[in-house]
Amino acid sequence: MSRRAAPAGSQSSLREANRQLVVETVKRYGGLTQVDLASATGLSQATVSTIVRELLAAGVVDTAFTTRSGRRAQMVTLARRVGLAAGVQVGHRHMRVALGDFSHEILVEQTLPLPVEHRLDTTLDRVALLVVDLLERVGASLEDVVGMGVGVPAPVDASTGMISVHGVMPGWDDVHVGQVLSKRLNVPVYVDNDANLAALAESETGAARAYTDSVFVRASYGVGAGIVIGGQLVRGFAGTAGEIGHVVVRPAGEQCRCGNVGCLDTVVGSAALLREVGPLPGVANVRDVVQRANQGDERCGDVIAHAGSTIGMVVAGLCLGVNPQVVVVGGEMAEAGETLIAPLRAAVQRGALPNSIAPLDVVPSALGTRAEVVGALVMALQSTDVPLSVDETVDVEGL
Amino acid sequence: MSATTTPLLSMRGISKSFGAVEALVGVDLDVHAHEVVALVGDNGAGKSTLAKMVSGVLNPDAGLIEFDGEPTTIPTPAAAHALGVATVFQDLALCDNLDVTSNLFLGRELKRSGGYRDDERMEAMARKVLDDLNSRIPSARTPLSWLSAGQRQAVAIARTLIGEPRLVVLDEPTAALSVAQTAEVLMHIERLRELGLGVILISHNMTDVRAVSDRIVVLRHGRNNGVFDAASSSHEEVLAAITGAPTLRRPRLHALG
Repeated sequence: MSRRAAPAGSQSSLREANRQLVVETVKRYGGLTQVDLASATGLSQATVSTIVRELLAAGVVDTAFTTRSGRRAQMVTLARRVGLAAGVQVGHRHMRVALGDFSHEILVEQTLPLPVEHRLDTTLDRVALLVVDLLERVGASLEDVVGMGVGVPAPVDASTGMISVHGVMPGWDDVHVGQVLSKRLNVPVYVDNDANLAALAESETGAARAYTDSVFVRASYGVGAGIVIGGQLVRGFAGTAGEIGHVVVRPAGEQCRCGNVGCLDTVVGSAALLREVGPLPGVANVRDVVQRANQGDERCGDVIAHAGSTIGMVVAGLCLGVNPQVVVVGGEMAEAGETLIAPLRAAVQRGALPNSIAPLDVVPSALGTRAEVVGALVMALQSTDVPLSVDETVDVEGL
Repeated sequence: MSATTTPLLSMRGISKSFGAVEALVGVDLDVHAHEVVALVGDNGAGKSTLAKMVSGVLNPDAGLIEFDGEPTTIPTPAAAHALGVATVFQDLALCDNLDVTSNLFLGRELKRSGGYRDDERMEAMARKVLDDLNSRIPSARTPLSWLSAGQRQAVAIARTLIGEPRLVVLDEPTAALSVAQTAEVLMHIERLRELGLGVILISHNMTDVRAVSDRIVVLRHGRNNGVFDAASSSHEEVLAAITGAPTLRRPRLHALG
C-alpha cells in the first residue's frame, strides 16, 4: 500500500495536506458545521466544500443537515463504522469520557475534574450526562451506542463487575457500577480496573502492539499494573492481579488504606510524593510535581526519579513472575518522561532476570493520558457481537 | 500549601455596609499565585461583594488590601486592571453581535501607528489565548451568537488572559451549564492555575469547587467561617461551615496571618 507521496509544493500535495487538515479539525471538535470548518482551518468555503464532498465519498466523514442561527448548515462528523462505544475512566481526581467506533478511533472526548473522595452518586450521574452530551456533540444518540467500558482505580471482579477489595474507593464498595449505568443509559456496561484497560489499549493499539506479552505500569495517585499474556488480559481470580501498589516495600512504614503497612502506594503515592517535595508554593497534587519537574525544578525531578526507581524494583519482581517482553509506563507521573522512566527502566533491568531470547524493554505509553479510555472502548467493542465489517464477510464467502 | 510565600493578594479586616445591611465584617482573604481559592457561602453571604472589591467595583469601608505584599487600594476597575486583576462576572458582559476577537479586545483594541485598529495582531493574539486555554472554539472570527453557553464562558475567561493578568476572579462560571460545558470550564480553570495565575472562584456547586480549588474560604453572614484545604477536608465539613451547623470537627484555620 505504499503510494508514493506527491512532490512537496505540488497541487496534489497541497490538496492532500488540506484534506488532512480538515480531517484533523473535525476530529478535534467532534463535529462542526462546514462554515466553522472553513474558519477553523483557514481554508475557503469552496475548498472545504470540495474536500468534504471527497471525504464523504471516501467514507471518512458523515454529513447531516442542521441549523445554525436559524440557517441551514451542513454538520460534518467523522464517519462511524457500525456502532459507537463509550469509554469512561473514573480516576481519583478526574473523569474522562470518550466516544469511539470500531476502528478504535476516538471521535470526541472530554475530561472533567473531580473532587477528592468524590461521591459515587454524583459521579455516576455526571458520567451518564457527559456521555449523552458528547453523543449530542457528534450528532448521535444513545441508540448508536453498542456498549460502554468503565475503568475504576480499584481491582474489579470480572464475573460481577464489582470492586473486589474493600476500602480502596470509599463509598464505592457495595455498588454495582455497571448495573447503575446500564439501567440508566440502557446500554451494556463493562467495568474493569483502569490499569487493566490501559494494558489492553497499549497491547491492542499502542506501545505493546508488536508483543504478545506485556505489562502496563500505571503511575498515578497510586500505582497499579495490567498484565497481558498471549494477547489476553490476566486479571486473576478476583481481579487483583497486578495490584503492585500493595506490594510491601517498607515493612516498618506507614499504614496503607488497604489495611496493610508499608505498601508501595504509601511510598510513591500522591500523598507520599507531596510530603517528600515538602511545602512548595503552588504544589498541591501529582500533576503540579510533574509540571515542576518538567520545568527543571531539581527537587521535584529528584522525587520523581526516586519514585521511578522504587516502582522499578517492584515491577522487576512482577517481571520475574510473568516474564513479559515489554513494560509500558503510563499514568500522570509518566508525563515526566525519562525523569521517571530512566530510573524505573534501570531498576527493572537490574532486578529482572535477563534472558538471551528477548531483552526486556521499558517504554513510555504511546497513548498517554488516553490509554484508559481507549482500553475501555476496546473492551466494550470486544464484548459486542456486531459484525466488524460487511466487506470481510463477503470476502470469506467468496473464497 | 503555599503559606510560605507572599500572597499575590491579601485582604485583611475588610468591612462593608449598605445602610443597615452588614455585607462584610472583618473578612480576611489570601490568594497566592498558582492557586485556586474558592469563595463559598449561602446567598447574601458576601461572596460577590468581596469579589467586586477585588475588581474595583466596590470599595471597602474599612480594611487593608495588599498586592504582592505592598499595601494598595483598588478604587476603580481600571486600577484593578492595572494591578493585573481580571474579572468574569456572572452575566459575562459579552456582545452577541460581535465576533470572538472583537469581544476579547472590547474597549482595549490594539492600534497601529496612525490610530488604525490592528485587526491582524488582535486575531493572532485571540487565537493564542484560545489555544492557551485549550478551548474548543473553532475560530476567532466566529460571531458570539453562534456559541454555546460553555463556549461563551470560555470566551469570557479567555478575555481575562488578554493583557497578561495575574489574578482572575470568576463569579459563578458553571451556573446553568450542562455537564460537558461545566467540564470544559473546569478544565479552563485548571489551565489558568497551570499558567501560574491566582484564581478566585465563586460558586454554589460544592462538587465543582472541591474539584478544582486548592483552598475553600467559607463566608457566612459577611464573616469568615473557616478556611479549608480542599484536598484534605470533607464535603460535610465545608457544608457545615456554610450552613452554620455545629461542626463535625473544628475547621482547619490556616494560612491566615
